[in-house]
Amino acid sequence: MTQIAPPTAPPTREAAAPLVRPARRRSGGVRAWATGDGPHILVFLIPLFVAFGVFSWWPIGRAVVMAFQRTNLVTAPTWVGWQNFENVLRDPLLGVAVGNTLTFAVLALLIGYPIPLVVAVLMSEVRRLRGLFSALAYLPVVIPPVVAALLWKFFYDASPTGVFNTLLGMLGIPKQPWLQDQLTAMPSLVLFATWSAAGGTVIIYLAALISVPPELYDAAEVDGAGIWRKVWHVTLPQLRGVLLVTFILQIIGTAQVFLEPFLFTGGGPANSTTTILLLIYKYAFQNSLGGDYGAATALSLMLAVVLALFSLLYFRLTRGWSTS
Amino acid sequence: MKSHFTRRGVGAIALVSAGVLLAGCTTGGEPAGDVTITVAIDAGLEQEARDNFDARVDLFEDANPGIKVEAQEYTWTATTFTADLAGGTLPHVFTIPFTDGRGLIAGGQIADISAEVAALPYADQFNPNVAQAGQAADGGQWAVPIAAYGQGLHYNRALFEAAGLDPDSPPTTWAQVREYADKIAEATGEAGYATMTAGNTGGWILTTLVDAFGGRTENADASAPTIDSPAVKEVLEFLKALRWEDDSMGSNFLYEWGTINQDFASGRIGMYVSGGGNYGNLVTQNALDPDDYGLAALPLQGSDPGLLGGGTLAAVSPNASDAEKAAAVKWIDFYYLAKLTDEATATQTAELAASLDQPVGAPELPIFNQEQFDSYRSWIEPSVNVPVDQMAPYTEAIFDQPLIPEPRVATQDVYALLDTVVQAVLTDQNADIAKLLADAQAQAQALYDRAGQ
Amino acid sequence: MEHLVSTADTDRGILSSADWRRRRVRVSAGITHGILLVSLAVVGLGPILWLAKSAITPTQDTLRDPLALWPNGVDWANLAEAWSRVEIDRYFFNTVIIAAGVWLVQVVVATTAGYALSVLRPRYGKVLVGMVLGTLFVPNIVLLVPLYLTIINPPLLGQSLINTFWAVWLPAGANAFNVLLVMRFFDSLPREVFEAARMDGAGPYRTFWSIVLPMSKPIIGVVSVFAVIGAWKDFLWPLLVLKNPDLQPLSVRLPQLQQFIELDVFLAALAIATIIPIALFLVFQKLFLSGAGLSGAVKG
Repeated sequence: MTQIAPPTAPPTREAAAPLVRPARRRSGGVRAWATGDGPHILVFLIPLFVAFGVFSWWPIGRAVVMAFQRTNLVTAPTWVGWQNFENVLRDPLLGVAVGNTLTFAVLALLIGYPIPLVVAVLMSEVRRLRGLFSALAYLPVVIPPVVAALLWKFFYDASPTGVFNTLLGMLGIPKQPWLQDQLTAMPSLVLFATWSAAGGTVIIYLAALISVPPELYDAAEVDGAGIWRKVWHVTLPQLRGVLLVTFILQIIGTAQVFLEPFLFTGGGPANSTTTILLLIYKYAFQNSLGGDYGAATALSLMLAVVLALFSLLYFRLTRGWSTS
Repeated sequence: MKSHFTRRGVGAIALVSAGVLLAGCTTGGEPAGDVTITVAIDAGLEQEARDNFDARVDLFEDANPGIKVEAQEYTWTATTFTADLAGGTLPHVFTIPFTDGRGLIAGGQIADISAEVAALPYADQFNPNVAQAGQAADGGQWAVPIAAYGQGLHYNRALFEAAGLDPDSPPTTWAQVREYADKIAEATGEAGYATMTAGNTGGWILTTLVDAFGGRTENADASAPTIDSPAVKEVLEFLKALRWEDDSMGSNFLYEWGTINQDFASGRIGMYVSGGGNYGNLVTQNALDPDDYGLAALPLQGSDPGLLGGGTLAAVSPNASDAEKAAAVKWIDFYYLAKLTDEATATQTAELAASLDQPVGAPELPIFNQEQFDSYRSWIEPSVNVPVDQMAPYTEAIFDQPLIPEPRVATQDVYALLDTVVQAVLTDQNADIAKLLADAQAQAQALYDRAGQ
Repeated sequence: MEHLVSTADTDRGILSSADWRRRRVRVSAGITHGILLVSLAVVGLGPILWLAKSAITPTQDTLRDPLALWPNGVDWANLAEAWSRVEIDRYFFNTVIIAAGVWLVQVVVATTAGYALSVLRPRYGKVLVGMVLGTLFVPNIVLLVPLYLTIINPPLLGQSLINTFWAVWLPAGANAFNVLLVMRFFDSLPREVFEAARMDGAGPYRTFWSIVLPMSKPIIGVVSVFAVIGAWKDFLWPLLVLKNPDLQPLSVRLPQLQQFIELDVFLAALAIATIIPIALFLVFQKLFLSGAGLSGAVKG
């Protein structure tokens, strides 16, 4: 499936007049519709109906249904009520997966949230060569994630001649186990994920920074603000909207981390990098001789509900904070 | 109301007649008796190998007018099998490992070809240990064994020499394995001994070692797991000692079948346990220098040790019709078994493989009996191009080692549980082995209970 | 309050021109930017350069001394082997085909739906927009299993779409983000243009084809960038539905290949797989970066 579509606040609709001339509209129902623009509108909507109907709305509905069934693809599915949800909640791996996902999210926030901001602020002051800076920052984002992951997997070789261990050795730091130790595996994944995605965030921040009205800085200087105070009182508040949105997007994105644990460690060592999404994948596609599709959809639904609640709460809380 | 009923009645009759007609069409007369079956071939074959395959297809079609064979690249993947089955992407004939045979049979996920197989001339000559992997509960042979191997201890002769060990004298006890691993690690800095731990291979190798230490992971009538048992504990303590006391297992532990072969071939591992037939993969795909390769038999100790055996079965898709099943069994006989049972085919296949620089003569276990196996080996003798002397410690010993089949219930799922146990022992110095085993036992028991329903 | 007009400061940032005139500021800014540039180069460019170097280094050298520069000579054969034996060209071609199809499907769905909902404005439009918006809140993971089953057994078609490119192209169309982007863009188009077209007797199709589409080039550009990048990176879905190695894109094939080939050839394959996106990026840099920045503006 294509990249996750991040949730956005609904675009504000301008109060533009509809295209249909009111004078031409008859008060009759179907006939008026059929002789007006009605059928043509439907023609234009056919791609939407096909794409969303078959590949989005229908599967969502089906997911809800499957969460209450046992399916094995060969015989007809049977209804099992809340059984799937119970099985999932009782699975000891669920607690592990939730914990790991939270760890990943928190670590990713700690590392991946402030760093792009700092870099972007610094970059916004670059007079010449800003293009070069942008290109260098964005370069890791351009590399396909799978290629980057395979490359970093090799970097993370834990033997003394692994790439990163050799680099550390040159700095006098002892070799690290990276992916081979339950305590360092997850941070290693976070490090990679940050490297791979930070560039995009930098560019977004940069675009927002450039559009800060210069008068605000002028005004702050009149009030005697030094550099730090300008940043604190002008820059950051102006960025608030973008910061808020990237925060929630990062949470939602990291809650669904899959590629890193799948490619780097397969969930190990000893399930220390098994995330919720990896667990869903295991339920559905790694069960030899038949997946537990009911459990997979049940867990997906639970995750979706939690994320939706979180998003709603978040938007409600931050409604007054954004400047836009 | 009346018209409603009549309309419905007519509709029903129409449907039923249509169904009868259709049913008649498929099972009744095939036009001119042509059955087409799709058969699996390996992905990534070289052009010559592909040409040879096509030539054999022609031979088969000539000998069996009325059967058409189409090749389809297919690699067995346990995890997506059900989806393949439902999605219709399975060929009619495909191969599966022993590990999955009984599970698929129990689930009715491969076709019952026992009648057709029973009609084959050598049907009753299969080695019982080997045949059972493809048998249903009533003894019917639903899948045909086409290759068998036993686990072995692969070792790197060059690393042995570098550590001052004699490459012609591999270890014969597990204490020696530990000692040699320590020497290799100290002398060369590479891993003296390494083990697979991921993708269900951790459980597979752990089971291998448990069997070699004289224990089992399943009780005699396959009704319960015996994971929390002294032999398993002993194996884990052994691994723990190598890892944390001797530090002779290197730095990388998340190995699967392919990646451990890769590291072994590049000279980073001194010894590891895997299937006895790995030579091909090591040399052709991972560029191992044949001079560096050595293969030894697994040391056996304890009260009732044995060698875990594995192999490959040929199975037929459950979607196949009767005609297709009959054709499929004929193909299995012709393509997979003739090169073992028929001298001319065996010689020719071996010669072709040798001409393509494919390894010929890698160690195997007999599918039938020792006699037949010896004849087969003599037929291919002239084309053998693997270093048989370097594998002598294995080939000379394994026929005396009792062969143990893989655990019968929920095999892959139990292996997955054991993966976690092995990974924990190797990556956490303070891993509580007793607790790990108790947890694994409980979870495995749940799997056995579910399978018993 | 009084607007301070400063002729030299219309495009200033945090630092004013007065700040820049101070020596301390200039020096520390210069040093900071220098450090930043070096860091970005090492972090962003470093891994890629290493990959380029290792692609032509023999396996043993990479393993024993990964940071050395060709202690035993260069091995150009890796690249040739990756291209021919490993057939990177085929998988690259598959990636291109997938990206092209995804692009087309997404552009068609987004523009037609955006036109219908934003310009033609049916009465049930709000409901439809709501339903589209709703899918944004559903994480992709929920769709994974049922969508897979739908592909195995699509309605009306009776034949599985597994192992066809359609299995990747069609679901890509259900991208609510694109639809909303295009709708928002169309909302901002002046209504007079459409009214004038109506006066001239143009029907909805004509208006779409000759008026709206030409005006939509910017937003189609943005959608295209997202579509192509998204398709290029896609991993899990093609992994599930494209079983046939002949159809697999690079992202699916490369991890599996690792089991089958030596390290140096594998790294060469990775290097080849990286060159194209990087080359595209360098050429279309402005488009990439403006697209990335625009997404932030849309979100903010």
